[in-house]
Amino acid sequence: MRETILSDLVQKGLIAPEDAEKIAVFSVRQPFSLHWELKTLLYLGVVLLNVGLGFIIYENIDTIGHAAIIALIGAVSAGCFWYAIRHRRPFSLGEVESPTPYYDYILLLGCLTFLLMEGYWQFQYQIFGTRYGLATLIPMVLFFIVAYRFDNRGVLTMAITALASWLGVTVTTNELLIKNDFNSSTIVNTGIFLGALLMAITFAGERFKVKKHFSLTYLNFGVHILMVACLAGMMILELPLFYFPLLVLAVGFCIWYARKNDSFYFLLLALLYGYIGGTYLIFRLLPDFDITFYFLYFIISCIMIIVFLRNYKQFLKTDAP
Amino acid sequence: MIAYPIASLDALITKEAAREWQSKGQLTNQQLQDIETAYPTNFYSPNVFVRIGLAIFCSILLFSAMGLTAMLSGLEGGTAFGIFGLFWGIVCIFILEKWAIQSSRHYGSGIDDMLLYYGLGALITGICLFLPYNSDTLAYFMVALPFLVLGSIRYLDRLLAAAVFICALSIVLLIVNKIPGLAIFLLPASGILFSAGAYWFARQGQKNTTKRHWYGVFGVVEMLALITFYASGNFWVVQQAGAAMFQMEVVPLSWLFWSFTYAVPLIYIGLGLRQKDRLLLDIGLLCVVAMVFTFRYYFHVLPLAWAATMAGAFLFALAYFSIRYLRKNEGTYTYAAGSKKSLIQEIEQQLVEQTIASQTAPMARPESFGGGQFGGGGAGQDF
Repeated sequence: MRETILSDLVQKGLIAPEDAEKIAVFSVRQPFSLHWELKTLLYLGVVLLNVGLGFIIYENIDTIGHAAIIALIGAVSAGCFWYAIRHRRPFSLGEVESPTPYYDYILLLGCLTFLLMEGYWQFQYQIFGTRYGLATLIPMVLFFIVAYRFDNRGVLTMAITALASWLGVTVTTNELLIKNDFNSSTIVNTGIFLGALLMAITFAGERFKVKKHFSLTYLNFGVHILMVACLAGMMILELPLFYFPLLVLAVGFCIWYARKNDSFYFLLLALLYGYIGGTYLIFRLLPDFDITFYFLYFIISCIMIIVFLRNYKQFLKTDAP
Repeated sequence: MIAYPIASLDALITKEAAREWQSKGQLTNQQLQDIETAYPTNFYSPNVFVRIGLAIFCSILLFSAMGLTAMLSGLEGGTAFGIFGLFWGIVCIFILEKWAIQSSRHYGSGIDDMLLYYGLGALITGICLFLPYNSDTLAYFMVALPFLVLGSIRYLDRLLAAAVFICALSIVLLIVNKIPGLAIFLLPASGILFSAGAYWFARQGQKNTTKRHWYGVFGVVEMLALITFYASGNFWVVQQAGAAMFQMEVVPLSWLFWSFTYAVPLIYIGLGLRQKDRLLLDIGLLCVVAMVFTFRYYFHVLPLAWAATMAGAFLFALAYFSIRYLRKNEGTYTYAAGSKKSLIQEIEQQLVEQTIASQTAPMARPESFGGGQFGGGGAGQDF
């Protein structure tokens, strides 16, 4: 196949025959990249270690060996942080490339084992007593510092989750709907507050050029929690007229970000959440119609959105692929 | 034979190759620019997220349109719905051919995908509704297969190719299952043979320049064939299927299936590395995971916690030393990132972030602390 393309290009005079020869040789000789496979192994190793150590602590609570085990986990954590500090790169407001290929994973392991150890201390010795907030505040602060200082997006996601649980909600996308009880207005409003906060951080980061590559992580958590909380407020708390404007604001922010960064992902999210909210509002506010009306509504609204998506070129910048 | 204009498809192949060469420093930017202008494509192939959006809304649209017409025409009975299905199938395919592909030049836009799936789905369902209601499952697969084959050939659709593979494999297994007395022995063998045949077929197709437009379609078949090949001989699959379908307590020739379970993943990885075949290598790694689970299902050598810790340490060390070695000894293999980030890798990146985040579930309340929130770790409620 490659040869056919190359001879075609040479024939059309687009590349010189020597270049074609060079490319043909390169295609055969180029090294085989194992980057992705090895990174997956590194990551699997970290996750398995964390899972295994977590189980081991549990199974050995109140046995003689548990002091040794906790010392081992502490040593692993300390070792990881020592490695991270020893090999650190100078701080920068922009993106910093990892000093070594394993750096990010070692740092991640350090943070995960720190969390294991802290959880164990709290469980066994109640070091924070009943001040549960403090138990999540400490890792949160630590993880934010680590994420910014050593430029690690994995640790940043841990910091954001810790922030969320400090506030009392769950933000992981796959657990967002299961673990949060959206029947309570506290959860809904906390979700909205957290989502707005994460969006504000994104906005500030973009504006003042502080770790702009963190935006995606912040916004991904922020958008989902905020929009789901708004929808929950509309549908479960039955206050559509209060929460719908908030949803519109959030959709607007998403579209602003999508325009600014050519991000089709956030454009899609804005459209989907906005469509769900808008449809609910229309069905809720209008009197009961025949089912024909609802079918017609879907047909017309979908055509409108398809036309919009088809012509986003006039709307979004199109430099991105 | 292909619904899309051939010249544009060829131009896409050329441009993709040129972009890859450019990203590896084999072509200058100017050369790439010249190539891009010399090979124009006027396809409408939007960004993947726009494609997802268009697919979602197109699917709601088609569903509502079908619902509306079904309701207004007041259909009753299987035959009427059968005709209704055929009607909508033809309508969808007609719109796909005349409007989406010919005049609007959609190619992988989400809209042409959905029109194709809804059209074929309606056609197949329509015909199946004419079958007597107590027909054998085999009959439904037989009805679907020709449509899926034609669809994947004419529209170069990879999802349909996967459906063809699964459909054909099901037909083979269902037929073999009917052989009295011997089915139990022939099922694994027929799965292995079918997969091997499909793999060979896909490899031949990929090498054939005249079939270049189906490269991706063959790729899907190749991947599925590798997976079902291993699954057909895997001890866990054989034992579970035997127990469920034939109440078989002891697997005959168990040594054979056990050696298959251990050997095939290693052969995949070995061949993948030797032939620089990424698909073979990655599926091999997946099969190793399946192999470990199969082993642990029958032998409890180590407590789970210690096994996970040791496996984690081992994998980390393995990756660590491999990377160190590769960075010092550049040669046939390299740790340098490949040029193209595939969709699977993007998805993995997302999954990784999500799992990291869920590892740190809250431990704010003691009651939730007991529920497996201890640094996450996937611990269940059974502590």
